[in-house]
Amino acid sequence: MRRSTSLNTAKNNRYIVIGVIILITLFLCSLFIGRFPLSLSKMLEGDEFQIKIFWTLRFSRVLVGFIGGFALGMAGFVFQILFRNSLASPDIIGVSSGASAGAALGILFFPSAIAVMLCSFSGALIAVILAIFFSSLDRSDRKGTIILAGIAVHSLAQTFLMILKTIADPERQLASIEYWIMGSLNGVNSHAISSNLVLCLICLSILVVFNRQTLLLSQDEAEAKLLGVDVYKMRFIILILTTLTVSSVVSLTGLISFVGLLAPHSARRLTNDNSVKTFILSGIIGGIILLIADILARSVSQTELPVSIFTSLIGAPFLVFLIFRGRDRI
Amino acid sequence: MSLIRVLNISVGYSKENILENISFEIKEGELLGVIGENGCGKSTLAKAICNVLPHSGEVYIDEEKNEDLKFSQIAQNISYVPQHSGLGIDISVLDVVMMGFNSRLKTFENPSLAMRSEAMGIINLLGLSDKAHNNYMELSEGQKQLVVIARALVSNGKLLVMDEPENALDFSVRFEIMNIVKKWIENEKRAGIAILHDIALALNNCDKLILIKDKSISSIIDMHCDTIESMEDKLRMIYGDISIGKVKNKKGKDIFYMVCESEGV
Repeated sequence: MRRSTSLNTAKNNRYIVIGVIILITLFLCSLFIGRFPLSLSKMLEGDEFQIKIFWTLRFSRVLVGFIGGFALGMAGFVFQILFRNSLASPDIIGVSSGASAGAALGILFFPSAIAVMLCSFSGALIAVILAIFFSSLDRSDRKGTIILAGIAVHSLAQTFLMILKTIADPERQLASIEYWIMGSLNGVNSHAISSNLVLCLICLSILVVFNRQTLLLSQDEAEAKLLGVDVYKMRFIILILTTLTVSSVVSLTGLISFVGLLAPHSARRLTNDNSVKTFILSGIIGGIILLIADILARSVSQTELPVSIFTSLIGAPFLVFLIFRGRDRI
Repeated sequence: MSLIRVLNISVGYSKENILENISFEIKEGELLGVIGENGCGKSTLAKAICNVLPHSGEVYIDEEKNEDLKFSQIAQNISYVPQHSGLGIDISVLDVVMMGFNSRLKTFENPSLAMRSEAMGIINLLGLSDKAHNNYMELSEGQKQLVVIARALVSNGKLLVMDEPENALDFSVRFEIMNIVKKWIENEKRAGIAILHDIALALNNCDKLILIKDKSISSIIDMHCDTIESMEDKLRMIYGDISIGKVKNKKGKDIFYMVCESEGV
């Protein structure tokens, strides 16, 4: 049962403040959790080795977790509104699979960080275009079509990925592709992240500004047009920005499942609306989920586990809950 | 001088025309009702006038040819109330109504405080003041329809096109709302087109009625010139054995009523 219908701005502000406090706390805790123990006092004393580990490995890893989760949460919010489907998220409509197939192609043939990112973005973009094309073949305007199209795109991307894996060098490239697909923040270092994170933050900032247009696009095409929205142009711009956001994260971290589905729904359950505050709260909750998952991935066993194991452990039951709840509302 | 001129509109799905050579004019302050049986193409006509359906013929709004305009310009000229809004997200009533300002805003601009109070004024006018901050999705279907009408009034186009605005509204509310809309059209010097199923509602609120049958306008009723007998004759061409008449309400105003003479009614 949903809570009171009355929307409360002060309450929404409070959720954002609480979310930011939790996120910052997790960020700080996460900096000191890991196989190599870091000590604040030793770093303050000038221990160069500890300081180097902190800046090159730990800080960049946690920063990617923080911004990556934030970005995936916000991207999920946009996809759900744009496709008018509560199940839409980067992984479910095939964007993440497209990005993985693209990244695998990059690892095989263009093994530089920038090239892998560009290939990942191209893969994600092709996946979105294919999903939209497949769903447009169904003229009945059923809202579930985009999900079915996403499943088809996901299968195509997986097939392409399998082909790439069969031709990959088993010693080096195959391991790299497998590791990438499993999704992990391990291996993220300060040299590779700056361009991706800058791109991601620029896209997110524009998406926040475009929140009004995103909401207008949640209506029927004719209705949106007659409110003065250039439907095709705006939908294209917002899709490109969102895809760019997802691929800038996924090309660093590999596949991370369910954050884009969980975060927007959790935010909406708290605020009961889709205002810009809920949009930002989706990002905050996405960051919280990914940081918690990363802390668990680093600490529950001797060897580090893929972060997607933990996001899926929460996400899969949540998806089943959404399906059985049967509410076609975002 | 007419504010709206609709010239020879023909619309078809597949290869067959649903509407052929529809032409009419609407003056400033006038509300035109479009009536006809289910499936005769009333909603299709509304969409063609709004240029969201491919059609032949022309629509002039204040001498601007609608077909030559971009959608941002069309949205400044036309305010539209769909039969069923496709809005399906959690959003406050006030935010839905504020969407009506979109055509007046630049891409990165947000509605001003003056716009917010203008929207609140319209929300109050339609009797939704206590719902302004409620979730649109949690309103009744009738209340949702009122919110969409409020959004159309806020967008303040020269032509207000309403596709079955009485849809989901209670019997008592639909008369009151149509009355408010009619007065708004007169005061703001706009023109209106209302696709209506409720004949009594059309007779009591519109200045002119066009009756659609067999793809074209079968007749036009001018509420200020036609006699009750001629109105009845024109309506019988579509609805068969019906009678209309007038009674005085408690305020002494003449009100049209319609009786269907079919067996069992």
